[in-house]
Amino acid sequence: MHQPDLEVVQRVLAGETAAFEILVRQYQQEIYRLAYRMTRNAEDAKDLAQEAFVQAYRSLGTFRGQSRFSTWVYRIAVNLCLNHLKSASRQDPAEVNGRLADQREDSLTALLTDERDRALAQAIEGLPPQQKATLTLRVQQGLSHREIAQVLDCSEGTAKANYFHAVRALQRKLQVFRDAS
Amino acid sequence: MMDGCEAIRELLIAHQEGELEGKECRLVEAHLATCPGCAREADLIQEALRRVQGFPVPDPPEKFWEDFGAAVRRRIAEERPPHPSFWTRVANWLPRWPRLRPVSALAMATALGLLLAIGIVRTYRTPRDVPPVEAFVVSEDLGIAQDLEVLENLDLLQEVEVLERLELLRHMDGARRPRLS
Repeated sequence: MHQPDLEVVQRVLAGETAAFEILVRQYQQEIYRLAYRMTRNAEDAKDLAQEAFVQAYRSLGTFRGQSRFSTWVYRIAVNLCLNHLKSASRQDPAEVNGRLADQREDSLTALLTDERDRALAQAIEGLPPQQKATLTLRVQQGLSHREIAQVLDCSEGTAKANYFHAVRALQRKLQVFRDAS
Repeated sequence: MMDGCEAIRELLIAHQEGELEGKECRLVEAHLATCPGCAREADLIQEALRRVQGFPVPDPPEKFWEDFGAAVRRRIAEERPPHPSFWTRVANWLPRWPRLRPVSALAMATALGLLLAIGIVRTYRTPRDVPPVEAFVVSEDLGIAQDLEVLENLDLLQEVEVLERLELLRHMDGARRPRLS
């Protein structure tokens, strides 16, 4: 248990609402990075990260301190990102394509110069949302399989299975380049 | 491909994750040392993960975080201050009782719910083997009615007997009565 975080939570619940800013400052970068990696868009990432903190504040009374506060906020943020991706995939394809074209300037793809990196980024985009979230949390955010299971509300075995599937997809993508060369 | 390559390749991600122990770990490492094909597969996994780990996230300027914090503060100010929920207070109170510590709140709630359900069912269920009060009354009435009928029949018989005797007496009287004319 992350004692300092829990103390801050208790202060907020005791009426010192301004103390919540301590938690925001402490985790804003991590949550923003997570949202960016999930959505690959800076503006969406900012909105989702802000929403994650507002939702965390709103339901702070249900936080029991059984997991770390960061894991709890991760869970809120990942759910928001998954819902965002789901609603984006439900939109009209033409609209989505137009939107993606608009976003290309600040999307991850624009930042990747190596074609293998671009291929891997594309492979990650093609993963089922749970696998994408698992890969992001494990490789880029550095969470353990146990923490991922807590964040995604699944068993540790499911978290590992999702991770293994995702890594295999990346492996196959790189294999194509290796075979070609 | 050497013997056992398929099985070893199934374990490569787990090996990469440090999930393998003892004999299994040594088996994979010994195989990788002698099998160039599987070693290349292992390299591919490592390369994929290394590349994905290195995907950049645009680092927003300091002003971005000031605006971010201000936006969260503004939105939080519109929210009601959070308070510990009832169940959180109950859950926080339970661990103070050492004997209750191993019993989770969920198990206790389930047990209480079951007891309540059993109580309700027992209260409202009509016992199958005990007839209702009305049934007793009707059956008693029937019994009495049947007895009455017998009694009535008995009376009737008795009356017939009496009548027969009366008739006999009348004849006797007639025989004995003096003629008026």
